[in-house]
Amino acid sequence: MPIRRSQVLVKWIFENQHKLQTIRWCSSSLRYKELEDSVQADHVAPSPTQKPHPQITPEISFKYEDLQVRLAAPYQLTPKPEAKELGFGKYFTDHMLKIYYHKELGGWQKPEIMPFENLNIHPAAKALHYAIQLFEGLKAYRGVDDKIRLFRPELNMERMNLAAQRSGLPMFDGEELVQCIKRLVQIDQEWVPHSETSTLYIRPTLIGIEPTFGIMAPESALLFVILSPVSAYYKASSDGAVSIFADPNVVRAFPGGVGNRKVGSNYGPTIEATARAAKLGHHQVLWLFGPDHQLTEVGAMNIFMVHINDQGDKQLSTPPLNGLILPGVTRRSIIELASQWEDIVVREEVITMDRVIQLNQQGRLLEMFGAGTAVIISPISRVGFLEQNIEIPTMKQSNPVFQRVKDTLLAIQYGHVEHPYAKVIS
Amino acid sequence: MAQAMVKRIVSSSACTFAGLAQKTYIRNVAASSKVAASKKERVLPTEGEITKSVFMSQSTDIYTNLALEDWLYKNMDFTNHHVMMVWRNEPCVVIGRHQNPWLEANVPLLSEKEIALARRNSGGGTVYHDRGNLNITFFAPRERYDRNYNLKLIKRALFRSFGIKSTINERQDLIVRDKYKVSGTAAKLGRLTGYHHCTLLVNANKADLSKALAKREHGIQTKATASTRSEVANLKDLDNRITVENLQTALGYEYLRTPALHLDDGGQSLIAKQRGFQFVNPTDDWFPGLAELKNDLVSWDWCFGRTPMFTVSRSFPVPIGLLAPSKVYSATQELVINMTVEKGLINDVTLSIPPGLIESGFHGEASVITHLKGKRFTSEALNALQDAMLTRHHVSDVKELDDKEQFVAKCFDQVVNTM
Repeated sequence: MPIRRSQVLVKWIFENQHKLQTIRWCSSSLRYKELEDSVQADHVAPSPTQKPHPQITPEISFKYEDLQVRLAAPYQLTPKPEAKELGFGKYFTDHMLKIYYHKELGGWQKPEIMPFENLNIHPAAKALHYAIQLFEGLKAYRGVDDKIRLFRPELNMERMNLAAQRSGLPMFDGEELVQCIKRLVQIDQEWVPHSETSTLYIRPTLIGIEPTFGIMAPESALLFVILSPVSAYYKASSDGAVSIFADPNVVRAFPGGVGNRKVGSNYGPTIEATARAAKLGHHQVLWLFGPDHQLTEVGAMNIFMVHINDQGDKQLSTPPLNGLILPGVTRRSIIELASQWEDIVVREEVITMDRVIQLNQQGRLLEMFGAGTAVIISPISRVGFLEQNIEIPTMKQSNPVFQRVKDTLLAIQYGHVEHPYAKVIS
Repeated sequence: MAQAMVKRIVSSSACTFAGLAQKTYIRNVAASSKVAASKKERVLPTEGEITKSVFMSQSTDIYTNLALEDWLYKNMDFTNHHVMMVWRNEPCVVIGRHQNPWLEANVPLLSEKEIALARRNSGGGTVYHDRGNLNITFFAPRERYDRNYNLKLIKRALFRSFGIKSTINERQDLIVRDKYKVSGTAAKLGRLTGYHHCTLLVNANKADLSKALAKREHGIQTKATASTRSEVANLKDLDNRITVENLQTALGYEYLRTPALHLDDGGQSLIAKQRGFQFVNPTDDWFPGLAELKNDLVSWDWCFGRTPMFTVSRSFPVPIGLLAPSKVYSATQELVINMTVEKGLINDVTLSIPPGLIESGFHGEASVITHLKGKRFTSEALNALQDAMLTRHHVSDVKELDDKEQFVAKCFDQVVNTM
């Protein structure tokens, strides 16, 4: 749910508080929300859990019912390549969604779907100078019943609004954007192969386009969504696992920064470090923080570790949302799903390199893997750190946790099992 | 000679096909849609809930496109989504499900000119395709299948975009100028889905068309569906602005602007509610299971082997030079060849050898029959025959056929190869 500051909203809540549901205090999803909120320390009003929404004005958000569609003519279509050549983000579909925000015109304008085209941007647009930009990543899957499903799009919307708020960009009603995205996916549906190896990657982006140099919140912005059919993302070694490089001299995020928001400025600076790691024979970079070398993220994914804890139980650990970590949707889904399994304990805790090395030496470190929308699960078999090469027995486990997690997620995403996480769109 | 007649009842128009495919693919709509035994349990959407797409195939190979048509028919759910597919092929001849290729087309000419021969899954007659011919397939749920709607839609598109007036005759062909046929129709209805396939002649090569479909002396008797020949015309002859591309676009827009269940004009605002035009790349990785469908369609067993049983009967007068010189015969000496062909294979052969040929020394009858049986009704049979007759010469070690045997071989050649 998007977090809004609005007098209209507060009034609505006041009038309808009898309808708001009681929240279970034991709910794990509430725990994350609390953590998230406590880190923010904002004076935000809790969002209503019930529809219908209060009257939406252009200041607050655009509306799906205002959506205008202009379908591409045959001469504007791109022929489809071989499914093997798709890669990640190389090909794009035939249509796109654009929604302008102009403070001068009252706020959010009407959403439009049109044939895919280049953007026309003023050279002084703020996004080009001060990285006033954010983006999201989610996928549409073609299930076994030939129906298309989105995986927890409401979480991406919530995250997108948090990033907008942090960047001085306008916020909006996530549900309206999800409806617009559903229509866009419906139009370009045939870009998803009818097999289970490919998906449609959805990239909503919000940029500040006001053409003035002042370093302040832009008065004009553009929210656009483009789709890309994708097959594999990371290239792994022959056994399917990756090797990662941990360099303590590189810092991806820092307290008080934007490490926990999905903004473009977090990713550009990682290219150099990743190229250096590749020269040393590694696929990705393990981002560390602090003198105790805390593990934060790996590549563009959240990191998970499976080990035998001090009580002798199998434990799945991941770093907590302390401001340095992007709250991944895959990450959150893994925590929630695995918490329901009886044979494993799930903890969000700080993990340091010393701990990793110690557990590995004692033979108690079982698996390490990265988790993200693009690649779902990426098992890690080797970590390069200082002068050491730490071998991790991820691929040697029988019945590994990462495989269980991956299979559970894929089963939900492709509709093998009915689950509230995956929503069907026609 | 006992003649087993074709058991199937053949109709010259739409053919109802009961039951779904035997093969299962990664997606099997019927299994997963949880449709109970009774059809009534499927809830069909209201007209406003149905969206339409126009699929444009990126392939021009007849077998790939027929396989794609079959794949969509078997695997896609059209309940809320009606589709019109448009496609073109390199030169080929397409016969109906129950037809006889030797009867319908000039088979030796086809292989000589590298024109493909394909048998489609739906019933109906034979058509010649080339790049000047547009194929259109309308897909809809079985309950919403409406051939009239589809044909009238084409008629409206022709008028709206090109000012061409046409009529639909009782055989559901599209006729222009009251006598020229510009389209043919075939269809298939399954348990869940139905498709209606039409062709439109835009700029086809009429000379090649008549050569490929030429009727020749063949002596075939069969219960297979015969095509009804009609006089055809290209739409380009009526308006030279028409090309396959702009006709495809015009039809597509007419399809998108018309409500799903009744003929009306919803205009641009209805178009904006649809899914629009899409390219479709018919390969196995975009459509798992397509390669298997295509392999079946390409196979000899399907194209030729599926021919309903037929008999061939030809008679050839024996040249005087091959008869015994001393004898005078009252009647013309004729060699009569009768063959039964089942599943494209020669089943039963009867040779009526005139006395004149026997008396001049031809003895090859028995071996001829044995060696032909089971062979495909193509030049393959002919080669087998020549080998058979050659082996009779093992006594005198002659490797050549004598002139009588050559004559017999030539007659067989005529039977098989001038179909």
